[in-house]
Amino acid sequence: MRIINREKKSSPPLSTSPCAHLRAAYHTCFNRWYSEEFVKGHWDKKGCVSEWQKYRACLSEHLDDKHLSRFLEAECLVDSFIQAISRKYKSWDLGHNLHGTSISTFRREKVF
Amino acid sequence: MVKAYTQEHIYKHPWERVTSASWRKFSDPENKRTLSHILEVDTLNCNLDSQSGKLYTTRALTVHAPGPWFIRKIIGQDICHCVESTVVDAQSRSMQLKTRNVSLKKFIEVEEKIRYDPHPDNPTGWTICRQETSISIKPLSALASMAEKVEQKCAERFMQNSTKGREVMERICKYLEAESSGISI
Repeated sequence: MRIINREKKSSPPLSTSPCAHLRAAYHTCFNRWYSEEFVKGHWDKKGCVSEWQKYRACLSEHLDDKHLSRFLEAECLVDSFIQAISRKYKSWDLGHNLHGTSISTFRREKVF
Repeated sequence: MVKAYTQEHIYKHPWERVTSASWRKFSDPENKRTLSHILEVDTLNCNLDSQSGKLYTTRALTVHAPGPWFIRKIIGQDICHCVESTVVDAQSRSMQLKTRNVSLKKFIEVEEKIRYDPHPDNPTGWTICRQETSISIKPLSALASMAEKVEQKCAERFMQNSTKGREVMERICKYLEAESSGISI
């Protein structure tokens, strides 16, 4: 906790995510697809598939050292998120992690 | 102890543009300064129902929510993680967003619902935004005795942030409008 408080004094980083570039590429593509295709009635095909796959792969890979692992500590999660995680990490014991274990506490201190 | 607030705002822009702006609100880098409380936005899931024209998206928001020192002392952190689920129905032209916190739930639960619909008086030109926020401090939390004050503070902050959010939305709409008419700004 002491570590957390000390770190908070410095201004928050804009983005420390190792997936920031892939994320930006996907979001830019998605925004364009949304306003130029989807709302204009062309919803038969999902856009930005390759951008999504690259970004998604990075997210899954860095789930552990990124803040996203903290979501596993939450008691109640969006179904789709649990499904997405468990698809990728079939071996993970989600139920165990959901209630905050010593492993997740350790992760928290490592992340911040 | 739950506090609920509703707000309404009319955008003098068509629904297509306003909902496009809504997607860009947190992800366009130029808004980072205004919406500095949003640290990170990640898309966790995005599904398209190509039969009905419905788009389902789940995003993770990392929010910086500094409070009074005693709250930081009790909670031990000032970063909050939220999950935002969005459904856009392109056929009926509606967008619904629901955001709630997934961390710090022992202390506080915040749920924000936003709807964007074409304005009934001018369905092709204007958009009505309805926003509902509910804030609840957990009665068992160490904050219970000052829950009322904390809720008030949270509510004030939410109001400030939603005003900022609207300003950003208006700015993006203008930008998109200029872009669609071929004027570069």
